[in-house]
Amino acid sequence: MRDVAADQEALKLLRVQRARLADRLRLPWWYQSGAAILWALVFAAPFSSRYLPHRVPLWPFLLAALALVCLMQWGLTRATGIKLPWRNLRHRPGRRVGIAILVAWFAAAETEFLLIDHALIVAAIVVAAGGVVAEMALLQAALGVSRRELRGGGGVA
Amino acid sequence: MTAKPDPLIHPITRLSICGLLAAGADWVEFAALRDAAAISDSVLSKQSRVLEDAGYLEVRKGAVGRRPRTWFRLTAAGRQALEGHLAWLAELEEAVSAGAGQARRAEPHPDDVDQPRHALPPALGGG
Repeated sequence: MRDVAADQEALKLLRVQRARLADRLRLPWWYQSGAAILWALVFAAPFSSRYLPHRVPLWPFLLAALALVCLMQWGLTRATGIKLPWRNLRHRPGRRVGIAILVAWFAAAETEFLLIDHALIVAAIVVAAGGVVAEMALLQAALGVSRRELRGGGGVA
Repeated sequence: MTAKPDPLIHPITRLSICGLLAAGADWVEFAALRDAAAISDSVLSKQSRVLEDAGYLEVRKGAVGRRPRTWFRLTAAGRQALEGHLAWLAELEEAVSAGAGQARRAEPHPDDVDQPRHALPPALGGG
């Protein structure tokens, strides 16, 4: 006869183990620092377009930023031991956070352009700083979605 | 998906490995899986080989410098087997809860000593 109690315990244990795996999914300090620097550079772009000479090409910066993002993702996978699939962004909660990241980016950048055009530099800097803080909070939210998915079993029981 | 027990996944260690790999991650590294399942290196190596031979697990080996790194991923066959097995376990859990509820309702009066105190549902071999 099967041990029914042991089978019930197996499900409970699996929930505990999934929670333990989900808890590994935390952003290391270097990842947070790197992401904050990258977002700061993104929100500094409106200033550069106004104050830098137009001869300065943008693509080397974009390539360097892309390389840094790839390196950070690779490091995060190594540090946590968990490689997340891109399909997380196609799920509704993940998609919502993804859209929020884009909306925050465009809203902050457009506001900065507007403020710089009206010579309100300090206000533009404040908006840029707010944009970085918002994007970092959204990054944590995106990670929270993945963590919840791991804890919940990814749709498998 | 049909709820049916899978004898290969039924042992708790293999159920843990498959359940953790199916939780939403694409690949999970050896140490992460070992720590989450709270098992030893040798147990994980042995059980993962069994699952790999059955086609339930995909293993990718690499190295960072001199340190070897092993990554695991559940295959489609493994996921299907796990889903069936977990559904079966969930049904079992429900049946036990329902059986416990029935048993509580049918709990005999302390004076009525002939009645059984616990009844298993028919699915579990009870009357």
